[in-house]
Amino acid sequence: MLELHDIDLGAGPFDHAFPGGAITVVLGRNRSGKTHLCRLVAGLVSPGQGTVRLDGTDISSWSPGRRSVAMVYQSFVNYPNLSVYDNLAAPMRARRRGGGIRARIAGRGDARMDIRVRELADRLGLTPYLARLPSELSGGQQQRLAIGRALAKQARVLVLDEPLVNLDYKLREALEQQLRELLLSTGVTVIYTSSDPRDAFSLGDEVLLLDRRQPVQHGTPLAVYQHPDSLAAADLMSDPGINRFVEDDIHCAVRPEHLSLAADPERPQRRFEVAALDVETNGSETYLHADYLGHPWIARLVGLARVRSGQAVTLYAPADAVLRFPGSADG
Amino acid sequence: MAEITLEGLRFRYPDNPMDTLEALDLRIASGEAHALLGGSGAGKTTLLNLLSGLQTPTSGCIRFDGRDVTALAPRQRKVAQVFQFPVLYESLSVAAMLAVPLRNHGWSRRDAARRAAEIAARLDLAPLLNARSGDLSLYQKQLVAIGRALVRPDISLVLLDEPLTAVAPAIKWQLRRVLKTAQAELGATMIYVTHDQTEALTFAERISVLHAGRVLQTADPETLYEAPSHEQVAHFIGSPGMNLVPGEITAGRLWLAGHPLGGAPGLTDGACTIGFRPEWARVSAAPAVSPAAAGTSIGGVPVTVDAVRVLGTRLQQPEGLVGIRVGTTHVYTRQPIDVAPGCPGMLHVRPERLLVFRDGARVA
Repeated sequence: MLELHDIDLGAGPFDHAFPGGAITVVLGRNRSGKTHLCRLVAGLVSPGQGTVRLDGTDISSWSPGRRSVAMVYQSFVNYPNLSVYDNLAAPMRARRRGGGIRARIAGRGDARMDIRVRELADRLGLTPYLARLPSELSGGQQQRLAIGRALAKQARVLVLDEPLVNLDYKLREALEQQLRELLLSTGVTVIYTSSDPRDAFSLGDEVLLLDRRQPVQHGTPLAVYQHPDSLAAADLMSDPGINRFVEDDIHCAVRPEHLSLAADPERPQRRFEVAALDVETNGSETYLHADYLGHPWIARLVGLARVRSGQAVTLYAPADAVLRFPGSADG
Repeated sequence: MAEITLEGLRFRYPDNPMDTLEALDLRIASGEAHALLGGSGAGKTTLLNLLSGLQTPTSGCIRFDGRDVTALAPRQRKVAQVFQFPVLYESLSVAAMLAVPLRNHGWSRRDAARRAAEIAARLDLAPLLNARSGDLSLYQKQLVAIGRALVRPDISLVLLDEPLTAVAPAIKWQLRRVLKTAQAELGATMIYVTHDQTEALTFAERISVLHAGRVLQTADPETLYEAPSHEQVAHFIGSPGMNLVPGEITAGRLWLAGHPLGGAPGLTDGACTIGFRPEWARVSAAPAVSPAAAGTSIGGVPVTVDAVRVLGTRLQQPEGLVGIRVGTTHVYTRQPIDVAPGCPGMLHVRPERLLVFRDGARVA
């Protein structure tokens, strides 16, 4: 378990515990404090105040090298002049050098390392490329290698700061699906930052929402999605953003996927008269951009829908899908 | 604007045994919004360069309104281009920037200024006419780059190469909307090159899917989605793409992993690939629901649930993608999440939605 106590990202102190051996997705927009949090856990910045405890031990003052924390960045950082094999072996060699004379005795150690490198390459799907240079790999393979190097450190905590953000769409789709399995198989405590709520669902055992340098809610992804405490929390767990409106002086919201063009006759419905602005589609889903009483809205519709720009459209949502936030002033 | 006709257009680099672009026939109507969709290495850039005149085809011909322009230099073709990142003279005002192509072609200062203002109004740039280009946001800069491509009324064709790359994801649709509106109002022939299916399906009336130097299919978004002509098209369109699993045809029936899925009238016996979209299929916890109730194929195929991925809730119930293994192939269904990883399940596919491919091409 990794515990933060009295930590301040710039908007007041808080406590948070990342459960051991589980994946926590830290969800927040740009400049919400995600990267700062990562750097703090890795020891790249000093917390200034508060403590970081790893399995009960206070590591706040430890150097990054001494902490059992590995980090993966947005841009894939690999040694460009080393083969895939040597990239994976490098962290193990570094550990042995740090481990003094005993660890340096050759022979058995080398054989063990070789087994570990090959085992790791196998899990990452990199076995056919062991002799290649990173530049000879695809973007997805390069990022898998970067993740593999972090795993090779055998750290107890793995921090991934938006590791898929630079990959193209189809590649991302493919990698996301393998990533959870891969990360869980290692048994490490994972902190994974993202701005995409889909990552929380596909990867996270837990989600921690950061808004303006402060945690706003945490829990299992589904619980946080279904019962957001605030507009900010509802918005962060919404892809695309949540649709807002005000009713009886209460801030309300409805999720893009809960809006549809047809009413469900079996259930009480809310109607929203909107002006369509445009649609975008990937075939499976269509995003309808619209204006509702001056609020920019997006409806996530199933399939391919054609709506003319400027057309008046009635959107329906189940009445119980409308979220209400009494007392919530802003998002 | 011009009607664009490509006739047997082919390109091969010297010393390369393979065509980078195989004989390509395509007709794009005057005023059409057309997209070229393909991954890296598909031949998009080569085709773009052939259209603009930066490269000369190995054989075949390009016609603008019936006139052969294959031998014409880029400048003589009157093709305007918008690139991934806006290229502007940072010190010039937006008004001056938009007037550059006109002034270069002998327009008077006054006429150029009037036309520039007209284009700016169409692109919601009017309030920025006096702003310095260097002070604009990336979104605004790209809008100016589009304006510059549209400003000459005598242009034949506008080529757009991933024009939304530089713009933040959340506002891409706004730029696309302005672009689309201007395209329709000006009746501009536009060819929009992208690897992004959403871009292509949203912008274009018709899309050509390019793969390994060949146009696999040219069609409207609905047709590409529901009736892809090739496995590559099926995979590329949709998110996630279409499921493609090895199947078998025996005695007019379609079999998946030893279980009948539906009829395959008129097809010869033998191996095939079965295609269906995640939203056309459903996995239920074994034992199976009655096929009559599900409205799907008879019997169903026993599968193991690998993973589930919640994408939200519908009617208070989690829904999203269910990942299953059929034999050695991974397949997705889009449905309520009422099954758990590790559980046995039954896969049902709506029989009227089953597609059959052979040698990569659809046969049913």
